[in-house]
Amino acid sequence: MSELVLRRKKSRVFREANTVVAVMAREITVFFKSPGTAIMSLAMPLMMMGMIGGNLMQNMAGGIGFEFGEFMLVGMLVIMLFMVTTMGMTSLVDDHEIDFNQEMLVSPVSRYSLVIGKILGAGFAAIISMAGTLIVGLVMGITLPVGKLLLVLALSPLMCLSGGALAMIIIGLIKSKRAANLAVMLITMPQMFLSGAIIPINNSGGALLVLNRLMPMTYCIDLARAVLYVGSPEYGSVVMFNPAVNFAAIAALTVVFLVAGTYFFARSEKNR
Amino acid sequence: MSMIEVSNLVKQYKGAKAPSVDGVSFSVEKGEFFAFLGPNGAGKTTTISILTATLSKTSGKVKIAGFDIDSAARQVREKIGIIFQNPSLDPQLSAEENIRFHACLYGMCGYRPSFRLMPAAYRNKVMELAEIVGIEDAMFKPVKKLSGGMQRKLEIIRSLIHTPDVLFLDEPTQGLDAVSRRSLWEYIDETRGHFGTTVFLTTHYIDEAENVDKVCIINHGKIAAFSTPEEMKHSLLRQELILDAEDRAALTNELSALGLPFTVNGRIIVPYRESAQSLIARLQTRLTVLRIHEPTLEDAYVEFLNKTGREAA
Repeated sequence: MSELVLRRKKSRVFREANTVVAVMAREITVFFKSPGTAIMSLAMPLMMMGMIGGNLMQNMAGGIGFEFGEFMLVGMLVIMLFMVTTMGMTSLVDDHEIDFNQEMLVSPVSRYSLVIGKILGAGFAAIISMAGTLIVGLVMGITLPVGKLLLVLALSPLMCLSGGALAMIIIGLIKSKRAANLAVMLITMPQMFLSGAIIPINNSGGALLVLNRLMPMTYCIDLARAVLYVGSPEYGSVVMFNPAVNFAAIAALTVVFLVAGTYFFARSEKNR
Repeated sequence: MSMIEVSNLVKQYKGAKAPSVDGVSFSVEKGEFFAFLGPNGAGKTTTISILTATLSKTSGKVKIAGFDIDSAARQVREKIGIIFQNPSLDPQLSAEENIRFHACLYGMCGYRPSFRLMPAAYRNKVMELAEIVGIEDAMFKPVKKLSGGMQRKLEIIRSLIHTPDVLFLDEPTQGLDAVSRRSLWEYIDETRGHFGTTVFLTTHYIDEAENVDKVCIINHGKIAAFSTPEEMKHSLLRQELILDAEDRAALTNELSALGLPFTVNGRIIVPYRESAQSLIARLQTRLTVLRIHEPTLEDAYVEFLNKTGREAA
């Protein structure tokens, strides 16, 4: 028997972790091999932060009791993570079209490992966009403390996982590229406006309040702001929840969306 | 020991009026080479998809290597390898990156970001297989730049790298040239001999199934025939002697006198069931042509479909 077969790893934990890494590495490799995707990841911050953010700063910055540029930059960083991760998840549709999903699903690994690897891989492009957003922010004269920024960076994989898990619920069921592109808008746009990313939602009520409480982006943004504003006088007017509440809500929503999204995805591939 | 046990398998696709697979039962023993043949749309790929746990079934029981496909799907996946009917490679990755990805998913080795950093056992195995199928020069090229035949060869390497107990081949030589087909079958024969791999084959090249242990023909989603190739050939077709003589009239008179049926179709064709030697020994006319025609599995397959109706479900 070949040496390779004899060396086959027995540990289930190792194999699942290895699957997550391999799937993630594939996404990153493909990212670097697709110049278009890389360019889009860097162009997104210019559009989002430079144009939308710049316009908001010029027209909405007065009388809110805190520095709007900084407030918006944190929101934009999280929007980038969610939006680019969600866009990255549409590669599931590409994989379906080239039958690569079959190759993954026939392998003896957990479907969760495949999906988590996919989300973290998509998150790589999101982190590139996040860095781009910071650079555009810097050009616009908005800076964030480096130490606190590193903490937000450390939280970014969790935020990507959260955004990707939510995207899975819809994209995992879709088999056409056009529908997937529409789904990206459907998933990201409401979150952008309802989660308090660029417009404060401290005074929201009714249905909008219910919706923003159901969106993982709300808690991700609030957690990022809690990290960046801790110890500052604006903390009370910018941050809505205790960081522990945010963390627990992100974890709970991520688990719920991940379980549901993975189930729908595996089922839609297998039940024809 | 049965490596594949299928009992009363039914699959009806959503919205379909009739099942694509309708009450199929069969078993394949360990180490057997099993051919699952049938016309387009007969239910071959549907069956293979269910057996590889990539498609849900409507009803029935399936066990692979003793594991139930419903309650132990992971163990089933651990035991199998497959070459899908349609290519399932990532065109953006290189050939080697596709194999590395597969090897990692099957727990052969930990992921490393480049081939040079992978364990020597992996590198040796990949290059050994690449040499066997003749794509060693293409291993580091993007898959999208490889020809269809080369992509097929790459899939073959990928399906064999984890040395599966049961290998499902869904039209594996589609798009391959004659030399590649031959080298593939030589390698699969070698793998079977070395590891006792059970092979489940669907193909439209019936000659590839000539040396299998069992043949199963599926038509309209139902098993239409199940036997060895020899049994199938002999139950459907007779062996024939192809004869001719300078004095053809004398030969035909002699055949009539001996009570042997024959047809004249360019040559004189004499079907027989006894031994060819005893039949020839009884002829006195001097022959100018003497050939024995052994029916092939393809002859038997075509004859079978002609008899049973070949239109697909």
